[in-house]
Amino acid sequence: MAFQNRNKFCYFKENGIHDIDYKDVKLLRRFVNDQGKIMPRRITGTSAKMHRKLVRAIKRARSIALMPYVERGTE
Amino acid sequence: MRYYETIYIVNPNLENEVLDKTMVEIGKELDKTKSKLINHRVWGKKRLAYPIEKQKYGSFILMQFEGGDQSKMVDFDTWMKLNKSVLRHMIVGLDNKPDVYVEESKKEPGVDKETRPGETASEAEDGRIENNDISTKGAIEPEPEPEDEEKDNTALETVEKEAE
Repeated sequence: MAFQNRNKFCYFKENGIHDIDYKDVKLLRRFVNDQGKIMPRRITGTSAKMHRKLVRAIKRARSIALMPYVERGTE
Repeated sequence: MRYYETIYIVNPNLENEVLDKTMVEIGKELDKTKSKLINHRVWGKKRLAYPIEKQKYGSFILMQFEGGDQSKMVDFDTWMKLNKSVLRHMIVGLDNKPDVYVEESKKEPGVDKETRPGETASEAEDGRIENNDISTKGAIEPEPEPEDEEKDNTALETVEKEAE
């Protein structure tokens, strides 16, 4: 898993990403669990600003069927 | 001026001609809002995360434009909703002016998943040609190639055995 690291850091700030595109499913997948739920900031370490953008992107991706609303955990 | 992006999904089983026709139709409808079309292209056939109208796959089409008459955008939205060939659509505001899309051999992750190794030899050849074109990517990509060749060899061997 990507978030086992004790030293939390904002993925987007580290990589200099300012805008999150809802079409970039590969990136968004990192921030949902295997059920398709958005992971809390507490765990991912994302900054508050980017987390808001991330949530918006994930929700957009869901509404256009690029990402699931719900997914069976074991697959 | 505000810029918008509309993404919509159409039935993937449509023939190319019909798809083009619907795209033109939608473009015409957008013209009524006095919007300036910047990009209108097929993004690709993708697997839907959940079925929509009993379809598992969908052709995603991306449209970027400069906003025109705000009040008529509502009409366009409802028209898209009522359009039966469109499974789902979404209009999103953009922060920056979108770049004009130039067709390139852009790698789509969705397509990569679909093309599993060992489907056809011709596809592997296509990959090699792309490698030649994009020399910068060559550093990462040569690794899978030997596997393909090995598979080809094994395939040949099996063929030979069968011949014997």
